[in-house]
Amino acid sequence: MGDAVLEVEDLTRRFGSAVANERVSLRVRAGEVVGLLGHNGAGKTTLVSQVVGLLRPDSGAIRVAGADAVADPATARRCVALQAQAQAPLDGLTPRAAIEIAGRLRGMSGADARAAARALADELDIRDWFDRRATPDGGGLSGGVRRLTAFAMAAVAPVPLVVLDEPTNDVDAARRRRLWETVRRLGDDGAGVLLVTHNVVEAERVVDELVVLDRGKVVASGSPGQLRGTGDHDLRLELSLHPDGADPSDPPTDAPIPITRRVRAGRRVLLTLAAADAAAAVAWATALRSGERIEGYALAPATLEDVYLAATTTEETANA
Amino acid sequence: MPETTVSAPPARVPVGVPPRTGLWTAYTTLLRWTTAQIGAMLPLFVVVQTLLAAGIIVGFGFLVPDIDTPAARFLSTGAPTVLLMVIGLVMVPQGVAQARTSGTFAYQRALPVPRPLLLLSDLTVWLVVALPGVPVAVVVAQLRYGLRYTFDWPLLVAASVLAAATAAVVGYAIAVLLPPLPAQLATQVLVFFVMLFSPVTFPESQLPEWFQAVHDVLPFRPAADLIRAGLLSDGYDASPQDLAVLLAWCALGAVISVRALVRRA
Repeated sequence: MGDAVLEVEDLTRRFGSAVANERVSLRVRAGEVVGLLGHNGAGKTTLVSQVVGLLRPDSGAIRVAGADAVADPATARRCVALQAQAQAPLDGLTPRAAIEIAGRLRGMSGADARAAARALADELDIRDWFDRRATPDGGGLSGGVRRLTAFAMAAVAPVPLVVLDEPTNDVDAARRRRLWETVRRLGDDGAGVLLVTHNVVEAERVVDELVVLDRGKVVASGSPGQLRGTGDHDLRLELSLHPDGADPSDPPTDAPIPITRRVRAGRRVLLTLAAADAAAAVAWATALRSGERIEGYALAPATLEDVYLAATTTEETANA
Repeated sequence: MPETTVSAPPARVPVGVPPRTGLWTAYTTLLRWTTAQIGAMLPLFVVVQTLLAAGIIVGFGFLVPDIDTPAARFLSTGAPTVLLMVIGLVMVPQGVAQARTSGTFAYQRALPVPRPLLLLSDLTVWLVVALPGVPVAVVVAQLRYGLRYTFDWPLLVAASVLAAATAAVVGYAIAVLLPPLPAQLATQVLVFFVMLFSPVTFPESQLPEWFQAVHDVLPFRPAADLIRAGLLSDGYDASPQDLAVLLAWCALGAVISVRALVRRA
């Protein structure tokens, strides 16, 4: 771990009366993959747009590799490689040409850019389409190959900070795994990676740190282990309710075991409990099911998704 | 028992701000990108320009029964300007509006290059697309009326490039000033204005005096007169005032476009 390559402090940005980012602070160190999680409209893309100089913050500071990104956005852009959420403009290009162009724009020599493009194509397994031209009507290359190419364009040159905004959209399962390995490799190579996503389950596997945004504010941050809470000993009991069925854990004191966190998401109720109470919890849930008060249940180790849902769900009722 | 130590390979990413990419490298690389995007359409553009030239030179000719040689010469030597204006004021804004809608515009603005270079590379490619309009119009007029030209080559080339560049940057400026849909509407209106209400394909003397004065400060008549002086150097002279007006519009369009590229919302 070295110095921070991205420092955001008290960043606030409004659109009219809507606050897209409210006093957001976060930090990405060199060699670290930081996940920025949040629902649609949580303010993730607004934050990224300010880092690359597309939007000016109302207040707060952004430093990229030590450079002041608010006062000197041109320098900040040299330090940041962005894979935007929108598809990259590839029409008329082959993946090979697009990745080489991205490398050349970052000052790589022609030979280095060609070699790096080939290596990435192998790493992401897109050699079959490497010399196929994308055509304007969305033809030539599939959405997934376009997305992987855009990812490769952000990953081709060594830069202090790589920002990936939903990099795995449209990408198939096998290549997703390769993409995550490459993300991890970028961090191991010394870059800081800011990974913007709403896919908690995938993010959990690669990130060192997590920041959860909800309605423009940071509502949780820390390592996945820290965020999961009381260590990795917690369990999650998931109750599937009947349509319009009453929730047997409402209020949580109705449950015969201590519930540390309760999240209702549609017909699912997620209850976090201590591992020591597993047997009692199963007995209770089995009784509920045989009494037809719930459709079914599942008991599993607590995941980051539970934490994420708890941090971003409004009907949350926590009980210590 | 001592543990085996495996040291990680040295970090590939250098510490601090990466050096600036050379301007020429950045420009030629962007040019490669833009050429790939627009270049595939180049043959199509030349066909469209040929059809447009035929429409103006042959079609407008039908409006004037028993067209005489001076009128035919005027019409034919105005046609290149119309073609350059159509590409610059319609195709360029459509391209920019599409880029803004699809996110390409924002994507390019996030690239690690000085943003004015984005305009420069776009402009270069649009010039290459637009300029064939001049020879195409000349050839069509030659076939229809059998005109004799007296070229002033340096003037013709300079005037064509300046007129095409002005139209393109003004079109670019319109597309960055207005939201995409109004921008497209505005450019359609402009083309009608250029074709029907501008003394490009007919002499200025046919307009009321106040309207002539308006056209003295708009770029269309000055562009047409400069190009005409390059095509028929024995009959028309280039005026420094026309050159100044055109340069002023070109500068204004460039300033607005660069500002829109550089500015953060």
